Amino acid sequence: MSRLGRVLVMLVCAFGALTAGAWRYALAADEAAPQIKEYKPNISAREYEKRYNAVYGKYTEQMAEEGNPADFMLDDGKDLFSKVEGSAGKSCASCHGANGEKLKGAAAGFPKYDPATKGINTVALQINRCREDHMGAAPLKYESYDQLALDLYVKSLSNGVPIKVSIDGPARPFYEAGKAYYYKRHGQFNFSCALCHVKYSGHMMRANLLSNNRHHADHWPSYRLKWAGTGSLQRRFRGCNKNVRQKPLPFECETYRDLQLYLTYQANGLPIQVPGFKM
Amino acid sequence: MRTSNLAALGLTLVVFLALSAAAMAGGNAENGKKIVQARNLGNCAACHVVPGMEFPGDVGPDLAKSMEGYAAKDRDTVWQWVWDARKFDPDTIMPPFGPNKLLTKEQVDDVVEYLYSIKKK
Ligand code: HEC
Ligand code: HEC
Ligand code: HEC
Repeated sequence: MSRLGRVLVMLVCAFGALTAGAWRYALAADEAAPQIKEYKPNISAREYEKRYNAVYGKYTEQMAEEGNPADFMLDDGKDLFSKVEGSAGKSCASCHGANGEKLKGAAAGFPKYDPATKGINTVALQINRCREDHMGAAPLKYESYDQLALDLYVKSLSNGVPIKVSIDGPARPFYEAGKAYYYKRHGQFNFSCALCHVKYSGHMMRANLLSNNRHHADHWPSYRLKWAGTGSLQRRFRGCNKNVRQKPLPFECETYRDLQLYLTYQANGLPIQVPGFKM
Repeated sequence: MRTSNLAALGLTLVVFLALSAAAMAGGNAENGKKIVQARNLGNCAACHVVPGMEFPGDVGPDLAKSMEGYAAKDRDTVWQWVWDARKFDPDTIMPPFGPNKLLTKEQVDDVVEYLYSIKKK
């Protein structure tokens, strides 16, 4: 082989090795990078606000005039907080203060990663854990009146406190799982949550204004006119699942807790305002 | 003998093709309108302005206006939009009515016929 030939072969080999290396690097980077490209709403925040007030304004006014029916549930929650239950002869107030002083602001950090849960802990799960582990009382059935009332009361102790959930460290994979569920296409219509609540938020779907998910996790439990009752964020998940012909999941299952972390993170910085009032 | 057989075959083929082309073109607009309006079928007004339908959505374009952009020869394109909009926009919110068995081929024919009937002249 001529000298030139050898140089050429060397060059080709070096080039090959380089591109192979770069290729492998690109692949690795691709694996590490988040796989979901999040949408931006295709309506400006200002325009969204305008449309939101046009559709929902009169209901908030109505509530301001007549009061929120969920306030009765809140009062019942306060009573339950100091009710002694279980084999330890304790009430929530025994450990967390007569007026829940020690829980002020606590709900703003939920949901959060928790080693004992091996995943995401919610206020609802924590309350039942306190009942079982610290009071010797039976867990409350999710979405039952007493369960919602206690959940509502505990969250109300953080009213006005900006939401501050962490998705760092061990919480990260659960956050990513929540996001993946939010962006995945489901059911016969092939919809994802994100299509309606991010990309097309602010648009009308039939007579419904599609709300932006930034405000989905700051006001539950809420009174909802359509329910003629009060329910949780996860009850709303189930409603949307059914509307789009997708199987609803059990309350407080792992997927819903991950989803709740994802949505609450979108609301970071917004003050907690419970009970909410919705159509 | 052989040639006449072939000719007959050719003739049937031509007739068949002509017939199927006619079938492609010939939906029933009245039926199409019902499918477009029915909430458990097309429910197109959830996202589109459709003439005469109350509380239309504004997720997608006004269909009568959209149809201004489609001539008679574009029937196949319109058909494909209704059958599976992912062909034109892989990330579309419009449900894939054909592949996901929300509408049959015949129903899509009818819908397309209806769309041409609302086209602003
Ligand atoms: C015997 C004491 C005790 C009782 C009674 C008790 N808890 Fe707790 N609670 C704890 C402890 C300890 C923790 C820390 C986490 C853990 O160990 O589960 C906690 C954590 C919490 C938290 C999370 C606080 C934070 O900052 O993260 C909430 C909310 C809570 N409890 C609510 C309640 C409610 C509501 C009740 C009544 C149903 C109740 N607890 C009854 C001891 C108690
Ligand atoms: C086809 C559109 C569509 C899809 C897909 C959809 N939703 Fe909804 N969703 C709505 C409509 C309409 C409402 C009621 C009006 C509003 O608040 O947006 C609603 C309301 C909600 C609310 C209550 C908002 C509030 O705070 O008042 C939540 C939470 C919610 N959806 C979550 C989800 C989740 C989670 C998914 C995916 C599993 C999902 N939605 C999928 C249309 C949709
Ligand atoms: C969930 C919302 C949704 C539903 C339901 C829906 N569409 Fe669409 N459609 C869209 C959107 C959004 C577009 C714009 C194109 C895109 O997705 O990128 C579109 C585009 C179209 C187009 C192409 C318009 C153009 O300007 O070229 C046609 C035709 C159409 N839709 C017909 C229908 C018909 C007929 C139905 C009912 C059988 C229907 N759509 C149901 C959302 C929807």
